[in-house]
Amino acid sequence: MVLTLRGVVAGYGGSDVLRGVDLDVAERSITCIVGPNGAGKSTVLRTISGLLHPRIGEILFEGKRLNGSNCRQVLAAGIVQVPQERSLFPEMTVLENVRLGAFTVRDQALVQRRLDAVCEMFPIVRERAGERAGSLSGGQQKLVEFARAQMLDPKLVLLDEPSMGLDPKMLRLVFDTVRMMCDAGKTVLLVEQNARSGLRMADTGVVMESGRVRLEGPAGEILENPEIGTLYLGGALAAS
Amino acid sequence: MHLIYVAIETGFMIGAVYGLMASGLTFIFGVTRVVNAAQGAVAVLGAYVSYALGQHFGIDPFVSLIVVIPIAFVLGAFVNLIFVRRIAGIGMNVLVRAVLVTLAVAIILQGVLEMVFGNDLVTINASYVTATFALRHDYIAYIYLFGFLLSAALVGLLYLFLYRTRLGRVVRIARRNRPAARLAGVDLGRIDTIVFGIGFAFAAAGGMVYGSINPFNPISSYDLITRLLAIAIIGGLGSVSGAIIAAIVLLVIESVTAIYAPVGATAVFYVALALTLVIRPGGVVDWNRVRMRLPLGAR
Repeated sequence: MVLTLRGVVAGYGGSDVLRGVDLDVAERSITCIVGPNGAGKSTVLRTISGLLHPRIGEILFEGKRLNGSNCRQVLAAGIVQVPQERSLFPEMTVLENVRLGAFTVRDQALVQRRLDAVCEMFPIVRERAGERAGSLSGGQQKLVEFARAQMLDPKLVLLDEPSMGLDPKMLRLVFDTVRMMCDAGKTVLLVEQNARSGLRMADTGVVMESGRVRLEGPAGEILENPEIGTLYLGGALAAS
Repeated sequence: MHLIYVAIETGFMIGAVYGLMASGLTFIFGVTRVVNAAQGAVAVLGAYVSYALGQHFGIDPFVSLIVVIPIAFVLGAFVNLIFVRRIAGIGMNVLVRAVLVTLAVAIILQGVLEMVFGNDLVTINASYVTATFALRHDYIAYIYLFGFLLSAALVGLLYLFLYRTRLGRVVRIARRNRPAARLAGVDLGRIDTIVFGIGFAFAAAGGMVYGSINPFNPISSYDLITRLLAIAIIGGLGSVSGAIIAAIVLLVIESVTAIYAPVGATAVFYVALALTLVIRPGGVVDWNRVRMRLPLGAR
């Protein structure tokens, strides 16, 4: 397992949102976390990425303890997060936004090589390089965010609700891109409100509720489990 | 009519000085989301340091800025590192606590100044405080012009820093979206420390001019902070240009009002503040509206 959470307790302002999360993420896989609102799904990602620190518990990445690491240290370890909220800087160009992904890299030759590789993977970066990021559609911005996340050549990519606000066509493109990242050797851990789409794409599914993991297993099995669908997700997931 | 022209001209120039002090406060808020309640006290501190250097060493007030500005910058950095960052985190409770912390800093500064200088009113003296120059048919004290030029120079340097340097770009990124900046690896602690330093430096520099025009004592910080907060809110919290526009407009209106109703002139700030909160709560330059007007992704 490339990422392991054991008994993680974390929250905001003295109130715990995560109440003992145990989670394993296999290397070069897509793990999708689903669950009702308030389950703590996004909080898991924030705790891994360093935006939040766990109060109790352990986070291990490639066998090394990640607890208490700040965002820069987590980036250095090889983990990047694409947050739920739009995180592009709209006044900056697409190219400037993507370059920002390598903010911590001093070697400019390396940055340029990464940029060239990212442009191959995400043609939109080259196509819209000089345009203001704010002029792109929501789905296009999400792709640029994915591109930016690749600038550090991460081992683990955390995606927080990548499908939010997207039309079906763009949603498919975004999920195809997620699969592409995994095929390129990345490990992806994503949180998805659109449980059906997320679990269809994923290898492993994780169902969270009230700050704990209720179920973890092959995504297909979770998708077909009628009890899970009724209890947590408003109806059988596979029926669509 | 002649008096009105003089009032407009002096109001414009002194408004720029208030704009300088308020822009430091709003700049700090825009990047760190902390309302610096110590801004008025720092301005008075700047005035006292200039005063002391003039009294004891005969140093010209504007020359004293060579000392005043670095002292204020270091003090601002210290306040952020030692006081504000210790309550770092997320959530509204943290923001409220940060205001209380800066209020505590203001109280401490005021207390120290009282102990050192007492409560007697003093003014900074220089030949150009009373000497005048002719502007069309009016005579304006040089200090107003020098204060205006100082404000223009410092705000101009700030814009050069923000828009022409790599560090300035990072500050702008942090101002736009702090979580995204953190996730990109920006050291927000370092950025906030620099921003506090700049904000304090602006306050102290403006305070020197303030102390040249007005008699002051440690308690003057209370009047100053209420005015600076009003300017920052009316201008739009987080907007340096808004603060400068608001300051100039308010000081011009106050100066003109003082001709007809000297006692009521100070009410200009509070009437304007009340009207702003009712009509356009975000201020002249509403940073939230600017974000909303931008296409998808602005938030």
